[in-house]
Amino acid sequence: MEDLQQLRDKAAADFEQRGFPTTKEELWRFIDVSALAKQEFSNDWQSTEIEFQPLGKYSLVFENGKLSTEKSNLDGLPEGVKVGSIMDQADARLGTLADSQSAFVAANTAYFSDGAFIEVAEGVQLDSPIHLIYLADAEGSAFHLRNLVSAGKGSKLTLIEQYIGEAEKVYWTNAVTEMFVSDHAAVDHYKIQQESNAAFHFQTMETRLGADARFSNHAITTGAVLGRNDIRGKLIGAGGEAICNGLYLLKGKQVFDTHMFMDHAVEKCNSHELYKGILDEKSKAIFCGRILVQQDAQQTDAVQSNRNLLLSRGAKIHSLPQLEIYADDVKCTHGATVGELDEAALYYLETRGIDPVRGKAMLTFAFANEVLDEMKCSAVKTYVEKLVQEWLEKVSG
Amino acid sequence: MALLDIKNLHANVAGNKILKGINLTINPGEVHAIMGPNGSGKSTLSNVLAGNDVYEKTQGEILFDGKNLDELAAHERARSGLFLAFQYPVEIPGISNMYFLKAAVNAIREYRGEEQLDAMDFIDLIEEKKTVMQIRDDLLERAVNSGFSGGEKKRNEIFQMAMLEPKLGILDETDSGLDIDALRIVSDGVNALRSPDRSFLVITHYQRLLDYIVPDFVHVMVDGKIVKSGGKELALELENDGYASWVDEEGV
Repeated sequence: MEDLQQLRDKAAADFEQRGFPTTKEELWRFIDVSALAKQEFSNDWQSTEIEFQPLGKYSLVFENGKLSTEKSNLDGLPEGVKVGSIMDQADARLGTLADSQSAFVAANTAYFSDGAFIEVAEGVQLDSPIHLIYLADAEGSAFHLRNLVSAGKGSKLTLIEQYIGEAEKVYWTNAVTEMFVSDHAAVDHYKIQQESNAAFHFQTMETRLGADARFSNHAITTGAVLGRNDIRGKLIGAGGEAICNGLYLLKGKQVFDTHMFMDHAVEKCNSHELYKGILDEKSKAIFCGRILVQQDAQQTDAVQSNRNLLLSRGAKIHSLPQLEIYADDVKCTHGATVGELDEAALYYLETRGIDPVRGKAMLTFAFANEVLDEMKCSAVKTYVEKLVQEWLEKVSG
Repeated sequence: MALLDIKNLHANVAGNKILKGINLTINPGEVHAIMGPNGSGKSTLSNVLAGNDVYEKTQGEILFDGKNLDELAAHERARSGLFLAFQYPVEIPGISNMYFLKAAVNAIREYRGEEQLDAMDFIDLIEEKKTVMQIRDDLLERAVNSGFSGGEKKRNEIFQMAMLEPKLGILDETDSGLDIDALRIVSDGVNALRSPDRSFLVITHYQRLLDYIVPDFVHVMVDGKIVKSGGKELALELENDGYASWVDEEGV
């Protein structure tokens, strides 16, 4: 473990030196993290009574940043699948994808104290999702969570990462997930972020996809006062496919930033991104989607779309799609829209007896539904549908 | 008591005077047709009745089933039994026709003090109503009007009317863009709904629709006013002579 200790020492020094990013840095231009930088965080552990609902047969539950074997359930895990705490593993791959992209990654590498380690052996296809559940209600705590996921050749995995926090609690989740998807493997990844409305949530996800690998990511966000997902993927084998979708529902003074980076390094890969946001009150969303098509990445098919619905005049969106193309035989499109509810559709619903409050909720749900429709895991889809419905009821009610 | 009583109705759209004193009384069970050239205000009338707030009523009184329509929002008019079949039905991506219909049926049932339909009862009601309008199951699963053909949209409007069982059905140029087969299906659907306590206001540019939906009264509307009323034979008269003589007499 000497190497790991070295890595961590170096990261600690890096973080000390850099400090938190400021809005003067290009990648942090629209998100001001000074409110987080000013906070003092401690790490006194405590248990929690927060309720949760496993969405698959296998679950790992983290209570205020620490794995609880009591609350977790790995019964019946098939042979060839390793699931446990990252602290019990000495995997040389740790830190090879998430290195020093940002101060947040550096802080995570330096200070992580738990997280999930998942390894699916070659050819193993899991029959049920693995659900990672992070519960948080410890006021003033920082949780540096580190996950490492490896899907062997031709394996199949559905992974759910869910962050649940108690309302009004101030804490900081700083997570990093490194994901290796080998040749011909298929990984469906869901992230449901329901942190406390006063919490800070930052996650960097780094994915490598091999040849003919399939990866999908669905990021659903309703929580945190200040949050950011850095979703980064690199396609390093021909025929790979990455789908990165997301839905953010924001209100109050929530600020949520999605920074997507998809790197096409080789030929014949696809990446599709559909991000939708619904913004109420004085919330603010940032979407920055960068697609890089390298010189060798011929016959790339990349589509990116970011659509936003503003429910209030005070809400704000910064949408910045970026295409950077160095190959000549590619199909790439991107687009961004901002709009309000369709008045003609609302009138039509009203002429059928549906009151405007219900009508608005129906139309807003319809807007979000396009993202939910893409979810293959029905347990997650049902759960998220309910989450969206409840969010809309609170907004309209 | 009249079901619909319109007195001296004036209305504007974007500041332009479109309706200039409409008087019309419809009793329960009657079918009235309003014919007129393009731009005479026919669609404005139907939208004012349905409660579209893009249209501004400036003068006059509308009583529907004894209630002053000024006091009812669009959804309350629908719940009270007024139904508008749109000339251009609106597409709503992301909401299935089925889900939409269930929300509408239950909103109206709640207002009438009837119990909410559960999934089974609702499907029974759909099965009962869909045959006449030749609504295929895939149209029910698809998003409301999204990607429907012109004929499918109009059939879907009449199908909704059958599901919601209004007291007054207003058909706003339902025949526009329909071929003869679709016109027949739509007319059969409307005729199946005719009853002594349900009335219709059929707005059309052409006499053809009135061969299938035979009205009790025909009114000619020109430049925001009803210039002549009569029986169903008036429609034939118009078919032969056109609107030109009326337009000339009105001096427009």
